[in-house]
Amino acid sequence: MNIKTYLSRKEEVPYAFIEKIKQIVGEENVSVKECDLISYSLDYWLYGIFLSQHGNLPSLPCAVISPENSEEIQGILKYANEYKVNITPFGGGSGVLGGAIPINGSAILNLQRMNKFILLDETSLVSEFEAGIIGANLERELNHRGYSSGNIPQSLSCSTLGGWISTRAVGQFSTKYGKIEDMILGMEVVLPNGNLLSINPVPRRSTGPSLKDLFLGGEGTMGIVTKAMLSVHPLPEATVKQSFAFLSIDVALDVVRIVLRGDARPAVVRIFDEAESERYFDEKKNRVTVIFVSEGDSDFVSFERSAIKRIAQEYGGEPLGENPVDIWLEKRFDIGLGPVVMQQGAIVDTIEVVSLFKDSANLYKDMIASLKAVDDALLVSGHFSHFYPEGACLYITFAGFPKDPYRYYQDTWTAAMEATLKNNGSISHHHGIGYWRMQYIQQEMGASGAELLQSIKSALDPNGILNRGKLVGYGR
Amino acid sequence: MSDMEDKKELEQLTNCALCANMCKHSCPTYLATGSETITPQKIARLILYQERSFLEDEQGFFEVMFRSAMCGACKTHCIYENYDLRKFIQRGRSKAFQAGMLPDETRKRVETFTKFGNPNGERQPFQKGTGDLGYFVSCSAYKNQQLLEAMDKIITVSKGQVQQFGGADICCGSPLYYAGDTEGFKRAAQKMKGEMVKRKLRKVIVDCPNCMKMMTEGYHEIGGDLEVEFVHITEFFNTLLRKGKLKVNRANTTATFHDPCILVNDLGISTAPREVLGELGFEIKEPVYSRVDTHCCGGLCGARIGDCKLTDKVSAMRIGELKETNADIYVSACPTCKSVLSGIDMKDITEIVAERIVDE
Repeated sequence: MNIKTYLSRKEEVPYAFIEKIKQIVGEENVSVKECDLISYSLDYWLYGIFLSQHGNLPSLPCAVISPENSEEIQGILKYANEYKVNITPFGGGSGVLGGAIPINGSAILNLQRMNKFILLDETSLVSEFEAGIIGANLERELNHRGYSSGNIPQSLSCSTLGGWISTRAVGQFSTKYGKIEDMILGMEVVLPNGNLLSINPVPRRSTGPSLKDLFLGGEGTMGIVTKAMLSVHPLPEATVKQSFAFLSIDVALDVVRIVLRGDARPAVVRIFDEAESERYFDEKKNRVTVIFVSEGDSDFVSFERSAIKRIAQEYGGEPLGENPVDIWLEKRFDIGLGPVVMQQGAIVDTIEVVSLFKDSANLYKDMIASLKAVDDALLVSGHFSHFYPEGACLYITFAGFPKDPYRYYQDTWTAAMEATLKNNGSISHHHGIGYWRMQYIQQEMGASGAELLQSIKSALDPNGILNRGKLVGYGR
Repeated sequence: MSDMEDKKELEQLTNCALCANMCKHSCPTYLATGSETITPQKIARLILYQERSFLEDEQGFFEVMFRSAMCGACKTHCIYENYDLRKFIQRGRSKAFQAGMLPDETRKRVETFTKFGNPNGERQPFQKGTGDLGYFVSCSAYKNQQLLEAMDKIITVSKGQVQQFGGADICCGSPLYYAGDTEGFKRAAQKMKGEMVKRKLRKVIVDCPNCMKMMTEGYHEIGGDLEVEFVHITEFFNTLLRKGKLKVNRANTTATFHDPCILVNDLGISTAPREVLGELGFEIKEPVYSRVDTHCCGGLCGARIGDCKLTDKVSAMRIGELKETNADIYVSACPTCKSVLSGIDMKDITEIVAERIVDE
């Protein structure tokens, strides 16, 4: 093979292991063919994608295993422990931190055959799906029946339910409907030792620490999520779109903070800085654009519209109407520019962090200044999205045409993480840790936190077979 | 990039290979198998790598090229304008053909076509009626006597003058196209042109969406445009019903329409068949995946031609999706869909129209 790998010490998979696995999943569901190994070598970690155009891939798996159900996964993990074969779960492959890269040639556990809608309980507003279903198809199944999960990430059409759970993902309508951890009521998990854990769906429980939280953000290191039960909402009766222009990020943050301090819970709230306002909305007056989407019962939506409008105008907001919201709705899944500029040598990526409101404005300013100071930086811009009464997620986009791509990428990320920690933030809001961000996790958690996480991992997975080299330090 | 037409094409393919697979959710072969390898973005990466000689397993690469349904769902859901991955897959198939490395099923179909001028084998010519309005009997329809009788009834009842033709070695050449036999396809196109000219046809009704795509877009690609107007059978029926040329006995039952992939993705037709069924008195029960979100039956020459196991999986998935509606009948507008989805007693819209019309 003429592919070059840069995160790999090639390990041969034991022949006996493959033979055992074939007996479990059938011969056609185990592959060591070149085309399959290449296709499962990388997720959507953008530095890896940048290199992939030249035939450089991080690591090729030793095999690709595609089970059909939890029982098969139980068998696979039992043999993986016996033969000490490392397993990397692969959902939609849309993760942006390298969480699904089969570092050092681990075997891929492809979960995409498990993609079925199972049931909808309209009385309790709960649905159940296999974890390998693509988000867009999950939504289609629910929409067809008059409901929505409310979880609409930019990766909707290529990410899976299991991936959302594993990375603690968040959708664009999260300010009203919550984040994935708010939506998941129950799940089925195959533990690293092959045992099956079923957590039945209830609104809440007080039975000790929440076991499901081991897997919400577990990134496939603690177990394999095979099914999940999540809350659903009736499709909204009414939708109202509003937008306003403000003179600064500080004022815009104040407006959203005051809106959320009251009873308003707009589904979408986004504050675009001056650069993004110009890029998205052709805003020429160096102003900040804020968009709101309120949806639900028409009476409630009407009240919410009035409250938002009143507060925005009290803070000097100029109403911009529905147009900016419509532009955002139209462009929100468009990632087309990234591949175009990557071909021209650009390094592009996004970074999402979170802080309390008291730190939000300073975090934004420090982040922009420190990323612009990195050599070869060309573009740095940001927006706030995913709001809480206490704070917000800051989402940064950066691009450069560096002479040394790796150095630019590394320096930019380090600058961003340092700016975040300096402003009391958390280094990730919803993309997770994966492979790339693992280098900063000790700074985030402190030595005690990292040790605790490592201890939990070791207790669950003493042989370290699940997603080695991700989230916690095993194998890096 | 020896055979890439120009730099722009390479850029388009690379965009696809560097995309986040944003059309993946729509791909029926992926959904039926869960295989990442046959998602559009990964196919683009593999084609790019093959062009750049990064791959060693040429046979494995060609196998992937023949695992696409070529249904066009990825084109319909693409974030880029004017891009169709199928063009590059088609080139991969042409390379396989030139290298003599076709899948067995494909090779057999090409051999049959080469011998008989059609994919069915030896058959009689079919010729009926006169006039400059033609009805081309596709190879799939030719095999189904009920369909031919149904169409004949509709033509008779509507008092139309239609020249029906097909059979023998009259074929659009689609099996050769999808097998990557470009020269063979050109010959088939030339032959078809002769058949049209010989019959002095001005306009031709086509029952098979794929034949219609071949005789328009496919022939255009090879510089073989026909000077004939084409109309799909659903549009023809819709016009007859709207002009009052067919009286119907309304059904007052439910029907689920399966959108044939090429009909919606390439010909852009999804309203006409629903209007026809509505005129016939059916209440339409939509499946979860319909119109531009339809899933291929698995039988288009894309998948069927290369991988029969894959066809079985795709068709089983589609039957399951359609069954969920619990409609009284299931209807399509493609003779191949009818044949492949026989597990759900799929009817062709031609049969349904013929059943409901009243001969006064």
